Amino acid sequence: MEQKLLAQGTGRNGVINVYPDRIELRTGWNNENADPVGLKQIAHVSIRGFVNCTLTLEVNDGRRILVEHMALPDARQVKTAIEDQKRKASLYE
Amino acid sequence: MRRFVLLVMAALLLVAAVPGVALAQDTPVVQGAETLADVALAVDTMWVVLAAMLVLFMQAGFAMLEVGFSRMKNVGSVVAKILAMMGIGIVVFWAVGFAFTFGEGNSIIGTQGFFLSGDEATYAGLAWTAVPISAKFLFQVAFALVSLAIVWGTMLERTKFAVYCIFAVVFAGLIYPIVGHWIWGGGWLSEFGMQDFAGSTVVHLSGAMAALAGTLLLGPRIGKYDDSGNPQTIPGHNMPLAVLGVIILWVGWFGFNPGSTMAAVGQSFADIALTTNLAAGAGVLGAMLMSYLVKRNIDVGMAGNGAIAALVAITAACAFVAPWASIVIGFVAGIIMYTVLLLVDKIGVDDPLGAIAAHGMGGIWGTLSCGIFATPELVEATGFGQPGLLYGGGLAQLGVQALGIIACGGFVFIASYAVFALLKATIGLRVKPEHELDGLDISEHGVYGYSEQLVATDYQNGNGGGTQAAKVRTAQETAS
Repeated sequence: MEQKLLAQGTGRNGVINVYPDRIELRTGWNNENADPVGLKQIAHVSIRGFVNCTLTLEVNDGRRILVEHMALPDARQVKTAIEDQKRKASLYE
Repeated sequence: MRRFVLLVMAALLLVAAVPGVALAQDTPVVQGAETLADVALAVDTMWVVLAAMLVLFMQAGFAMLEVGFSRMKNVGSVVAKILAMMGIGIVVFWAVGFAFTFGEGNSIIGTQGFFLSGDEATYAGLAWTAVPISAKFLFQVAFALVSLAIVWGTMLERTKFAVYCIFAVVFAGLIYPIVGHWIWGGGWLSEFGMQDFAGSTVVHLSGAMAALAGTLLLGPRIGKYDDSGNPQTIPGHNMPLAVLGVIILWVGWFGFNPGSTMAAVGQSFADIALTTNLAAGAGVLGAMLMSYLVKRNIDVGMAGNGAIAALVAITAACAFVAPWASIVIGFVAGIIMYTVLLLVDKIGVDDPLGAIAAHGMGGIWGTLSCGIFATPELVEATGFGQPGLLYGGGLAQLGVQALGIIACGGFVFIASYAVFALLKATIGLRVKPEHELDGLDISEHGVYGYSEQLVATDYQNGNGGGTQAAKVRTAQETAS
């Protein structure tokens, strides 16, 4: 069953989708490469910049996922959706 | 019987003679120079209004061109955008744009004649022609709309409708008029003697630089670049419509360039029509040759873009150059357009229509070509600038042309970038990826441009995309 899409944003040739339990980074030709990351694994989300924003996701396994060239409203929406979901599920320590 | 025949013949003669008598009574007898001047003014006015209609009709050309180069799922949004731009552009240019461009003011901007309230003296930038202000406005607003239409060619298939509308107000109301005033309205570049007869820089380069600014902030369409960052072709859905668009633009250009004489009396407007047509033909040949040399086939879309690039290039030079030079200008424009298009694609700027190459580089080459090919006789007849490099004019005019390109292109790019950046930081420039994949017709306007059964949407979120009919077939195959 398909899960409800909570938020979406477009970066430089890539898309970030936020679902209730995970985020999904779609890249490559027609965004057919999907790289899912569980919300549990996301330690911190931050936004840098005003016009071409960079959304930074810090993952527990040490990775830092950067989604560059995002619009500020999109980046904010994605950040808020991830934080709300984690708060709801009490995933923050 | 004989009397009857004579009576009928007399009646017929009378009937034939009456309109002549009536006409002789109604038509003023041309006696003095003043009456001749009135007739000349009437003819000129008729020509300017007709030319304005031709330039306005170019919007249909842009619509068909953009529709042809778009995918089926986005065609409705393209035509909706064209209509909205016409509405906003006409009203805003009437309110402030015309005054900023041609009104009395300083060397940077016009400051008088808002809401078309001025008289002949108020619009000093257009005082060189005696046609009524209403005709001048009709012609100039059509130019502003063309420049505005160029902006969106690069931003197709992913831009929010609100962005179109907000930027149109700023562009038609301020950015375009400032550049127009510099060159046509008695501003600082016209004082230098810059030659830009019908607007290679004012109209086309301005539109292209705004388009470049917007596209850099907007980013490419989903699926434009593969995993390694190599550009992929996203073909348009209807090449005949795209070529129809090109031909409409080509015909419309007979209003654009010859219409800029704002006079039908005299030989110059016919000469300009000739140089315009020759350049366009040569542009097609230049682009076709490049297409064959690079890809070993004749790319129809590129041939069309070659015509447009050549028409853009000859726009500045059409009144200053000989027919043979117009062929050189057009041919080189076709070659430059193709080369730049490949380069733009490679550096990650997604330009579905090739507007940056055709209008941007075409505009730059056309403006520079005045400084190379302008003949002393035509320069004297037009009264602008100096002859070109090939006619002993030295580098002076070429330098002025280059200065104009840098100043106007730079200003439009910076101003447009600032506006688009503000929009990106506040409302965002792009539609949601989901909407982009579904197509803008359904997300922004609620209906498809074509029948829903025909429209292919893209793969997303695990559902296969494709046409509705294909989805039904797949479902049936799965069930059986």
